[in-house]
Amino acid sequence: MTPANIPRLARGCRLSEDPAQGWVLLIPEGVLRLSGPGPRILQRCDGSRSFADILRELGDEFAAPDAALVEAEAGAFLDRLVARRIVVVE
Amino acid sequence: MRPQALIAEITHRCPLHCVYCSNPLAMQPRGDEMATDVWTRVFREAAALGALHVHLTGGEPVARPDLEELVRAARAANLYVNLITSGVGLSEGKLDALIDAGLDHLQLSFQDADEASANEFAGARAHARKLALAEIVRARQIGFTLNAVVHRQNLDRLDAIVAMAERLGADRLEIANVQYYGWAIENREKLMPTRRQLDACVAAVRTHQERLKGRMRIDFVPPDYYARYPKACMGGWGRSLMLIDPAGFVLPCHAAAVIPDLTFDNVQAHPLRWIWEESPAFQRFRGEDWMPEPCRSCDRRHEDFGGCRCQALLLTGNANATDPVCSLAPDRKLVDAVIARANAAGEEAAEWVYRIDPA
Repeated sequence: MTPANIPRLARGCRLSEDPAQGWVLLIPEGVLRLSGPGPRILQRCDGSRSFADILRELGDEFAAPDAALVEAEAGAFLDRLVARRIVVVE
Repeated sequence: MRPQALIAEITHRCPLHCVYCSNPLAMQPRGDEMATDVWTRVFREAAALGALHVHLTGGEPVARPDLEELVRAARAANLYVNLITSGVGLSEGKLDALIDAGLDHLQLSFQDADEASANEFAGARAHARKLALAEIVRARQIGFTLNAVVHRQNLDRLDAIVAMAERLGADRLEIANVQYYGWAIENREKLMPTRRQLDACVAAVRTHQERLKGRMRIDFVPPDYYARYPKACMGGWGRSLMLIDPAGFVLPCHAAAVIPDLTFDNVQAHPLRWIWEESPAFQRFRGEDWMPEPCRSCDRRHEDFGGCRCQALLLTGNANATDPVCSLAPDRKLVDAVIARANAAGEEAAEWVYRIDPA
């Protein structure tokens, strides 16, 4: 994931908040249970924000001390979803 | 324990007559189909139990005139809504209405890449209509899976089937070998692949998966008669899935009605929670207490749950037996005999047994 990439959820994949089970990513034939900053990252993967925009917003929200670490972890998280075709990049 | 998904067979009526249809031989007639408001309540009850997905299937779910309302009700219950369809009867206008109502995903079945063969296996001239619908679905913002059931008569065209799915722009391709229940067991001799076909298919799927990585996902269901260990059927009896038939009977799987001494409860008479958690049919093969040897002391019992109860019944006459596809099963010889026949040179059975429509 590079700063200029614009990630969005692939068609057929939807973020949902279940009253009992918390944030889940609903995909064809499956469910990913999300924890930590996962839901906040994916809520921003709407096809309008770049990865750099998403990182900036996360930084504002969490006041994370180590921006490089946030970028590496959020990038790895999204890359894994891209490999599974759950997130697509413009 | 909560169900992950509800399989809702909203009708058994279907314009196709597929020779491997997974519906039971004894189907529910139109007059017994549950009304819209009952299904609406059922969707809410399933979501309250923890289900996150509903698969609207049949028969052909498009045959229900209230399908749009059912999609809206399922989505309102916070479920991910998948429509499993032959595509026949689904116009562009109807599809768009379903998407507006909240449809998340559509799974379109294909019988082959070759039109004449596809229509032969479906017992209907459906292939060209499926192709036309796929062109419409690919341009919409819903998930699109193409499902192809494979068997002895079409496995040699696997590459063409994958090419068709690519051309039609599917996000995901499900290549499912026939499972021998329902109508498929009536046609088993004509459907059972050879060892050579299976080996070629496994190798080809692997090559296509690698080639299409990141573009189209391919999920593969192997033919379990050739397996060394049984499949974890439905993820275990009453562990993660439930099926409700058109008349409201709740089953742990598509085929469980073949087990003669089980009584299935109906959502019109009992709360879904009671049926899932406490009804005798769902309790019957949960856990390990029911298991015979060699399952009871087997290390794999937490992975495959003793295999499939319906397959045990269909092949051995005893639903409590170890699934006979298991190489450790005392009845494995029954499966080996079927495989031996499939690989021997000789005449094939002459005629298909086609699925008929319910009254």
